[in-house]
Amino acid sequence: MIYLTDGTKECFLTAFLYAFSDENALISSSQTQLALGQESVFVAADAAKAKKTEARLLSFDKDCMNDLFYLLRSGRNDREQIAFRYLKLLTEKKMPVREMAEDASIAANECIRKVTYEIHRMHGFVRFLESASGALYAPLSPDNDIVDLLTPHFRARLPEFPFVLHDVKRKKAAVYDGKNSFLAPLESAEIVLSADEQRWQSLWQRYYQSVNIPQRERLKQMKGYMPVRYWKHMPEFHATDPLST
Amino acid sequence: MIDEQRLKLLTEGAKYDVSCSSSGSKRKNTGGMGNGYAAGCCHSFTPDGRCISLLKILMSNDCVYNCKYCPNRLDADVPRVSATPEEVAELTIDFYKRNYIEGLFLSSAVEKSPNYTMEKLVRTVKLLRTQYRFHGYIHLKGIPRADEALIHEAAKYADRMSYNIELPSERSLKLLAPQKSKESLLLPMKKLAEDRAVFREEKRKGLFLPAGQTTQMIIGASPEKDSQIVRLTQSLYRSMGLKRVYYSSYVPVVHDSLLPDLPAGQLREHRLYQADWLLRFYGFTAEEIAPENENLPLDLDPKCAWALRNMQLFPVEVNHAPLELLLRVPGIGGRSAQKILQARKYTNLTFEHLQKMRVVLKRARHFITANGKFYGAKSETAVRGYLTAGENSENSRQLSLFSDTETALSALTGEL
Repeated sequence: MIYLTDGTKECFLTAFLYAFSDENALISSSQTQLALGQESVFVAADAAKAKKTEARLLSFDKDCMNDLFYLLRSGRNDREQIAFRYLKLLTEKKMPVREMAEDASIAANECIRKVTYEIHRMHGFVRFLESASGALYAPLSPDNDIVDLLTPHFRARLPEFPFVLHDVKRKKAAVYDGKNSFLAPLESAEIVLSADEQRWQSLWQRYYQSVNIPQRERLKQMKGYMPVRYWKHMPEFHATDPLST
Repeated sequence: MIDEQRLKLLTEGAKYDVSCSSSGSKRKNTGGMGNGYAAGCCHSFTPDGRCISLLKILMSNDCVYNCKYCPNRLDADVPRVSATPEEVAELTIDFYKRNYIEGLFLSSAVEKSPNYTMEKLVRTVKLLRTQYRFHGYIHLKGIPRADEALIHEAAKYADRMSYNIELPSERSLKLLAPQKSKESLLLPMKKLAEDRAVFREEKRKGLFLPAGQTTQMIIGASPEKDSQIVRLTQSLYRSMGLKRVYYSSYVPVVHDSLLPDLPAGQLREHRLYQADWLLRFYGFTAEEIAPENENLPLDLDPKCAWALRNMQLFPVEVNHAPLELLLRVPGIGGRSAQKILQARKYTNLTFEHLQKMRVVLKRARHFITANGKFYGAKSETAVRGYLTAGENSENSRQLSLFSDTETALSALTGEL
């Protein structure tokens, strides 16, 4: 049986309760992944059931909801299944399984690490555009659903600047209005740039070109650290510059 | 706003400085803009594989010194430009606001005099910290022979300072950088280290170089052996409390009869960084890594070379070996060692487990047993053969393309 969830934690924990005693259970929030011939059922989130499951899981490992939080943020289609196998192992062992050399633990750890690593990367790779009002706007398309998890970092360092982190892939935005931060759906945004924005971008492009040492080219390494899929929102890669050599 | 032409020249003058790390400072935002990011943060990567963490520029490339190896030396025929403290501060703020950078790395040629130059650097950092209320990362270069009071003032505002040792021996320094001396570089470093210790002991208000000091030396412009360089590095860590020692393999941008015409190999630089990692994170000493009067072997990484000299210690059983010994196994790094320590609490680890945990066994298998099983080569000669065979193909690739992610540590400097 495939248990289909709406992607939320509550729905996942409800599905977990049903799937737990089912030998061939799969949990998924993605309908595109359905295997042919396998039966599926939509699970409705049930607060009471979810709470019960959560309490039971927490009794074995007080940190496991933190793991689940990041697992459900993953952009992988099989994230619910990875979480299911990991938490199922937890209920079998009745103690934290995070560090065990078990397939389910290793898969969960790797999945969590991809999410937290992308958060760290995005702290560096986000590029703000300055709007005419002084507010900052950054379009991004991360692999994982993390846009609101970036807010605390930027809020701490730019407390006096309202900003919008726009996940253009998932069509939503993490907004900080100068006082509060919140998540909102956002299809597309029309930004009126500040008078100097273009010139600062040009200076940045000039800097980027000048700081490189062409005799030491290592493109493979560069792309390893900063995968090409992230480049499209970074002005250093938009340059078409007559002065460049 | 600074113009593109000057930005270009001032950046090109600064780019051979290796250090770009933005780690080690937890400076808080107390209104205004910016804060520290203790782990460091890379904002971009250039096609040479290096990270951009800080805006790395010179205040001026107009130098009264004539260091032989330097593209900005007095004799060199290059356009001379300078920036003002206001221009640098504005550039930093506007780049930082857009999240292009983690902060500023400001260096300078010796313009007019050491004090004149240092004053300009101090003015810039003060402007940023007080007027702009900027709390992002600032790395300042110390100018040799500038007044002690100026240096001390700079340290109150910067997160990190560095004096470049430039060359690994006094003799080479005299020959190639006649206006600098060992004392002009080491004494201010020592003084700053002491001032920092006093500051911390007395728990004074504010910050004093929260991210400490670093240095850099050029490799291959002078005849010192790696063993000498690694020992010097070790003593800098031990006696000066430096956070990092950077190496920069010599690139001949200048022709001089005292300098080699060929660039020093990137591989040699890479081996030195590996040795540096062994000193800082793996509990090795310089004496273990680099036998007296020798260079590090190019065909083996320094940990493999050490292990081959000490085969009597191996193989070690992964289920029992203490962390210190696991870290000495070729191919096992900090992360793998930790994973092994954790996982073996629950089960007796086999090679299958190690594989699943993504512990790299290519080299390690010759030096470990897992649950009593050994899958390495039988004789020392064979082990050496396996290790160098793998290395050789890697190196030839690296030498032609410099594109191997695994073997290029230098770009990690922003993160560590």
